[in-house]
Amino acid sequence: MSASVSLAILGGAPLFERPVEIGQRYFPAWAEYEGMFRDIFERQYYTNHGPLTQELERRLTERLGVKHAICVTNEFIGLVLAGQALGVRGNVVAPAHAFVGTVQSLAWTDARPLLCDVDRETGMMTADLVSPLLSSHAVAAILAVNPWGDACDVSGLQALAERHGIPLYLDSSHGFGCAVAGEPMGTFGAIEVISLHSDNVLGAGEGGVVCTQSDELSAHIRNTRSSYGMGRAVSVSKTGNGRMSEAQAAVALFNLDHYAEYQQRNARLFGMFEAGLANISGLEVRVPTGVSQSNYQNLILLVDEEVLGLRRDDLWKILRAENLLAGRGYYPSPGHPAIASYASKSRNLPNSEFYCARTIELPMNQALTELDVARVIDLLAAIQCNGGTIRRKIAELM
Amino acid sequence: MDVKTKAEDFALFGGKPLFDSIRSTSNLVRPDFNKFLTYSRIFFEEGQYSGEGPVERLLDSRLAEFHQAKHCVSFCSGFWGLVLGMESLALKGRTEVVMPSLTYRRLADAVAWARLTPHFCEVDPVGLCITAATARPCINDKTALILGVHPIVNCCDSEGLEALSAEFGIPLLIDAVESVYETLNGRRVGSFGRAEFFSLHASKFLNGFEGGYVTTNDQSLAEQLRALRNNGSGSDAAGHMPVMNGKQVEIHAAMALAALDDVRNQVELNRQRYYRYKTELASVPGLRLLEFDESEQSGYKNIVVELLDEWPISRELTLSLLHKDNMLCRAYYHPPLHKKSTGYATISGDLSRTDALALRFLTLPCGFFVSEKDVAQVCSFLRAISSHGAALAERAARVS
Repeated sequence: MSASVSLAILGGAPLFERPVEIGQRYFPAWAEYEGMFRDIFERQYYTNHGPLTQELERRLTERLGVKHAICVTNEFIGLVLAGQALGVRGNVVAPAHAFVGTVQSLAWTDARPLLCDVDRETGMMTADLVSPLLSSHAVAAILAVNPWGDACDVSGLQALAERHGIPLYLDSSHGFGCAVAGEPMGTFGAIEVISLHSDNVLGAGEGGVVCTQSDELSAHIRNTRSSYGMGRAVSVSKTGNGRMSEAQAAVALFNLDHYAEYQQRNARLFGMFEAGLANISGLEVRVPTGVSQSNYQNLILLVDEEVLGLRRDDLWKILRAENLLAGRGYYPSPGHPAIASYASKSRNLPNSEFYCARTIELPMNQALTELDVARVIDLLAAIQCNGGTIRRKIAELM
Repeated sequence: MDVKTKAEDFALFGGKPLFDSIRSTSNLVRPDFNKFLTYSRIFFEEGQYSGEGPVERLLDSRLAEFHQAKHCVSFCSGFWGLVLGMESLALKGRTEVVMPSLTYRRLADAVAWARLTPHFCEVDPVGLCITAATARPCINDKTALILGVHPIVNCCDSEGLEALSAEFGIPLLIDAVESVYETLNGRRVGSFGRAEFFSLHASKFLNGFEGGYVTTNDQSLAEQLRALRNNGSGSDAAGHMPVMNGKQVEIHAAMALAALDDVRNQVELNRQRYYRYKTELASVPGLRLLEFDESEQSGYKNIVVELLDEWPISRELTLSLLHKDNMLCRAYYHPPLHKKSTGYATISGDLSRTDALALRFLTLPCGFFVSEKDVAQVCSFLRAISSHGAALAERAARVS
């Protein structure tokens, strides 16, 4: 039976019995979970900058080589606290190809995103793209994004920000464990925020860590986050709850102990995908290039619809029907209503739109086996071979 | 026998502390571990750790049922639930939130995050809370929202505030953090006003590690809050308002469910502590226990006393003595919010009653870590202060 006939979207049985989701989802095994929470229940210390949160902050400080690592309940709130600490108001340059939350974090500090297009080759912001915006607009700060285990032009942006006397801060949600020219992510810009959401390689269930070398910014963020663990008291315009609980810290500490294993596993599966998909025309595996080390936590494909003979969104639907719950990257950014309605003005953003229209994210998670990867590669190969037939059959269904 | 017989026995003046570990005013209830594991197993099997997962959905439905409200939406904290609630409910084009000043120290900050301006009102001298009568003079053509707040013992008159809200067409949102178990005229707190919000912080009535929730009978508000807390995704319900990640974590939801299963037991223990305080404090002159209204259902969690005029020493010295003997008691909402310096504008008129009340009350140790025997010791300690007040005041004056 040909692949086109057996596809689930055309009535066949799904390739995977249970949904296979994107996001890393590394988590302790049950016995380990039980043990760590038994300890918490015995200690009866549940939150308020408890011993595990303090240990996590100490370990992250060491690991990232950064002076201050401030753990928070999620990355979004970390970005908001960062924006408030920097006092950003007015225009902030941010990439149009980004998660909606990155851009929306600005709304909470009375700033407005001035959307910048991304580089066609990398999908990320560069100093060359930002520079004209700094000449044409009054800009308070640059908020850059390091997506997908890769890094944008951090040194170029840093130099540009310094020349203009404005802060650069970074949303490095996917960046734990990555390094740029040997320097760990977490050390760049005035503030760098890394996500500890379970979708990322270092998961706390949910969480974030705000990194900075500045004592002043750290004091501001700690004093805003909570009265516990605030260190030196400084005046802040308003406080906002950003505490991480002991439950979150316990999971993150476990995952931190296992990071090397996760990274190697990701790299191995990533390598399998890369090799297996190399000969499938119309699908390009996006390989992290701006980094000296990557966590390989995101498997991103760029779809060439002409060559593949299928629309990206049809491929996405086909995969989802197979219980392979692929994502579409930052789609529909910059067209997301929560971005479009709020950005300073609509601009020509062809490369951002290019990426949003072409991205497919494949699952790369704890449950995924090498056999699963092989099956996904075979599926994609079959889809590519039969692109025309599948397209016609899907069209008939519509 | 009194625990302290002379000034030198108090830890502030060199004596041995009454307790060898802290007795605080935080609840810190430890739910049943196996129940926590049972609820944890649900998200563990699904491999979903955050973001509208199965345990959070279960928690939301259980809490809605518990509060006899149609909907419940949980958040990473009560604070951000409140911010999003205000953002949703505030009348567009208006800027002020009428709220008490004698309340939680961060409450005005939440108003500022919602880009609104706190307009502080007086409180009722008996209930220590906002009422329709104290809120009414602050209502004007800029009022966007009335923020009712239950005090930490008993409830504010939500029905009176509802009538005020209806009269002016201004939405009412209620801070019910301290009234999870309470009823008002027999009706469970949770469905008054347009919405009520609660905390699941470990120090509160239900320990969910961290977290909070909003209850409402308004389905469109519930949908809007779900969209706002989840980066606007899933619907157009967020409108054009700023969105955020304010989602609950599954582990926290599992903890909160285990705590919810244990509520009756905790209330009984709280009641026993409260009754012990009531009995013991009857023989301490100069202190008045704020009594729970026994015609309603109560959680009996917080213990608040008023220092009457005959109390021999200042509240400040009383608190210093308690702290040094390892009783982490707190001045009741001091300083009031209108006295704090903030990075945002606030509005307040004459709040002399709030100023006076803010000097008179303090909270006493309560919660899971405090036994009935501890309560007796705390009261004995207070009795000793009452007996040796002059010596303590003189000794303190010498030290300073």
